[in-house]
Amino acid sequence: MVFLTVANWVRSRGPDEFWRKRRVFRLAAHYIGRRRNCYSIAVRNVHRALVYATKARKLKKQDMIDLWNTRINAACEQHNITYFTLKEGLDRANILLDRKSLSDLACWEPRTFESLAAVAKQKMNYDGFIDNADKKHPTGVNLNLKDVMLEAWLKERKQ
Amino acid sequence: MSAAKRVQQWATFARTWHIFDCKWQDPYDSANVIKKYLMGLHKPIYHPMNDSGDVVVCINSKEIALRGDEWRKRAYFHHTGYPGGASWTLAWELHNKDPTLIIKKAVYRSMKGNLQRRHTMQRLFIYPGEEVPHDVMQNVTNQIRQLRFVPTRLDHIPEEVTKTYPKVMDFPEDYVLK
Repeated sequence: MVFLTVANWVRSRGPDEFWRKRRVFRLAAHYIGRRRNCYSIAVRNVHRALVYATKARKLKKQDMIDLWNTRINAACEQHNITYFTLKEGLDRANILLDRKSLSDLACWEPRTFESLAAVAKQKMNYDGFIDNADKKHPTGVNLNLKDVMLEAWLKERKQ
Repeated sequence: MSAAKRVQQWATFARTWHIFDCKWQDPYDSANVIKKYLMGLHKPIYHPMNDSGDVVVCINSKEIALRGDEWRKRAYFHHTGYPGGASWTLAWELHNKDPTLIIKKAVYRSMKGNLQRRHTMQRLFIYPGEEVPHDVMQNVTNQIRQLRFVPTRLDHIPEEVTKTYPKVMDFPEDYVLK
């Protein structure tokens, strides 16, 4: 909910009932049915919407953080590295990128992210840290797939 | 946009077909892995409103392994909607009726209950054995790593290997093996 007019911030009730109600009706203009036409119903819904809007300002930030984490984790998995190793390695290499920038790089500049992952991995390697993500897990029955296994191919190129 | 770049973009949004071997895997742990590929959570381009999920083919669902005595203890609830219409089916009973159902329910329950869930489930194929129809199998290009190591059963090791295997000592002639 964006207030473009100062009048909506005023808390004291004005002398004129028409204008006071009009302010609420303007905020309820996009509702349907009696929620936009009857004042007593409209004002309840407008109040509720304003409360939601207040809460959503925090939730929106949390949602974005969750999305960044998902994307970074996905990209880390492609390069066979854990999120912890990436973050710790970059910090130790004095590359101070936040989650937003990292997820943007993972999404739009995969080659840059690949280099960052390699830097982090190498730095942790120099520091004697052992990453368990490199464990070779079994893959089940040998199915002789016609295409090259993407995962195996990516891992081979990393060596 | 050049022609090569355009093709690259198609490839980015193309659906990949993955195969997962359920043999001796915990269905509830595997469900989290399968879910990741079905929803597209394994791609850095993921967005909840972006249709980037892949297709997963599960084989050997007949040979899943449940933890502890869960085959006997875990119950699946169903209600017909009529009074007295509640029924509880034990995991082993459900598995006997349809060997694909436990893994299907596990994947279904691992996802959040929104409108997208039923459409995402359409992209999951489950087969009880190793036989997969050719039109499905010809699309598969990737194999998902299993969570658990599948050991070779002792009675499946060939006789020659067992005989030539080095041993510390021989049992005495009069020793009775139980």
